[in-house]
Amino acid sequence: MAFLKVFVRKAIGGLVMIFVVASFTFFLIRLMPGNPVTTKLNALLATGTPYPIALSKVSVMYGFVPNQPVWQQYLTYLGELAHFNLGESISYTGVSVTHIILSAAPWTIIMVLTGVIVSFVLGVLAGVIAAVWRNSWIGQSSTFLATFLHGIPQFMLALVLAYVFTTVWRVFPFGAPYNAAIQPGWTPAFLGSLAKHAVLPVAAYAISGYGGWALTMRSSVTSVLGDEFILAAELRGLTRGLRLRYIARNAFLPLFTTLTLSLGFMFGGSVFIESIFDYPGLGNLLTTSIGAEDYPLMQGAFLLITTAVIVANLLADLLYTAIDPRIRRA
Amino acid sequence: MATSPANVQSFYVVKRPNAFAVAWKVIVKKPSRVIGLILIAIFVLMAAIGPMLYPPVLPIDPLAIYAAPSFAHPLGTDFQGTDVLAEIITGARFVLLGAFFAALFAVLIGTSVGLVAGYFRKWRDSVLMRITDLFLTVPSFPLLIVLSTIWRFTSPLALGLVLGITGWAGLARAVRSQTFSLRERGFIEAARGIGLSDWHLLTREIFPNIAPYIVMNLLIATTGAIYSEIGLFFLGIVPFSTNNWGVMLNMAFTQSGAMYTKSGLLYLLSPLACIMLVTFGVVLFLDAVDELLNPRLKGV
Repeated sequence: MAFLKVFVRKAIGGLVMIFVVASFTFFLIRLMPGNPVTTKLNALLATGTPYPIALSKVSVMYGFVPNQPVWQQYLTYLGELAHFNLGESISYTGVSVTHIILSAAPWTIIMVLTGVIVSFVLGVLAGVIAAVWRNSWIGQSSTFLATFLHGIPQFMLALVLAYVFTTVWRVFPFGAPYNAAIQPGWTPAFLGSLAKHAVLPVAAYAISGYGGWALTMRSSVTSVLGDEFILAAELRGLTRGLRLRYIARNAFLPLFTTLTLSLGFMFGGSVFIESIFDYPGLGNLLTTSIGAEDYPLMQGAFLLITTAVIVANLLADLLYTAIDPRIRRA
Repeated sequence: MATSPANVQSFYVVKRPNAFAVAWKVIVKKPSRVIGLILIAIFVLMAAIGPMLYPPVLPIDPLAIYAAPSFAHPLGTDFQGTDVLAEIITGARFVLLGAFFAALFAVLIGTSVGLVAGYFRKWRDSVLMRITDLFLTVPSFPLLIVLSTIWRFTSPLALGLVLGITGWAGLARAVRSQTFSLRERGFIEAARGIGLSDWHLLTREIFPNIAPYIVMNLLIATTGAIYSEIGLFFLGIVPFSTNNWGVMLNMAFTQSGAMYTKSGLLYLLSPLACIMLVTFGVVLFLDAVDELLNPRLKGV
């Protein structure tokens, strides 16, 4: 029961956050120098479009009528948002923003989640090694590598990966999510191309997250190693493998709180990684929409990135509650 | 036998060593700290006098495009035949100044929010922490991109302000939890008992105790801000007002095709190397700052 209560509270918190972000982007567009709504209206009028037609075009694009008072526009906007209507894109004329961002979302979400899982598994293993063998060269080099990789910004990592593996040593294709010459479908050739193009971006996500996991796991394992129940296990003569399992299970828990922070970081990184590898995901959409001054699209992409992070955080919290009996009871 | 007051004083007053001398002693203790200090000094010097060493518009040389390193061009030339070293040196000021402002704003906001929330608790804490959580959750880089659409920041100060606004939340949480535990300590209770004001308690009693942590954060935040700044320029979202490392990366990646040739290596690598060297310097120097400010490590 307490579990359900926590979940409902967190879910409401998440909804409030989405609401705040949605309102923020609404007012942001109106704060902009040369308000894009009026700019668009004037541009249409200048091309000779009659006023009522121009007005209805703009209202379709942004989901409201520009000469209404702001609070009324705001209410209309929220109402449309509740129906997942985010207006029409400006750069892709006549296509709804919802359609564009929903077709971009899987690229980002799949890549980010794959990257998180790969970096989590590798980082946790490295962290255990670094902590258990912290006095030998293997532990120390593991710590050093994690510290080093943790300090490298994502765009640098992606740039270096792209340069080394597509220009200097041409083993992977550069740019685009798959080979355009292959017909998309569930064929081995297409899936193979998809996988080959995904290697570098996933590697970029994974390496950028790896250091953080390894360092957190290392300090967590080190602190568990000092616990009395580990000493007791050793005295009882339990095997090393069994003791490692005791340690790992207890050291694991603090990592789930870091998971929530890391997801935001990973989704934020999609902006760089997708731009560099030319992936058609949300991050790329966000940067191109700003270049094209396509504000409805920018609003939609930002909203969906934020929503993805909030939902992922919620799931991580749930997972944390589910695996830690101490929290479940509290 | 009566002791003269002068005598008593000379007995009790411990001569305070010169702060610079102490700092110097701590720094030279390890060679890694000296390297860190030297690296930081080089880049600060670059930022201070770099732009004065070269003409405002760097000369181009169509005959020496992507030239290999030579005596005239130690780091080679770029796609226009401009000296890469000159671009690096003149580009340091904007990046470092912006990063410094960003760290300063982030630390100012984060510290005040954390102190107020942790000290007063109750409604102030819950309101401030909701806001902090919001900033922690919303991915900061996309937020920066969205903010940069309304804010055509062209000066380092404006850029630093925006970076500070998006980057204070982590520090606020840490300062809050430290304040939380500090305010229960005996010396705070004693100070409250003699009727000192909240303002005094916050600024004179609690703040000095978390100041070392904040100074360390100021340094770390500077490197983080450099990444974000260069990221913004790299994506081409912020208008290019002056040449800087981020603009170089953008040019190398999007316009000049340096990404696709092996001869563009130095042009692409130089700004990246500078970012790494600054970070490296800060990380190495941080160790010395830690020892200087942390009383528990003193004299060890």
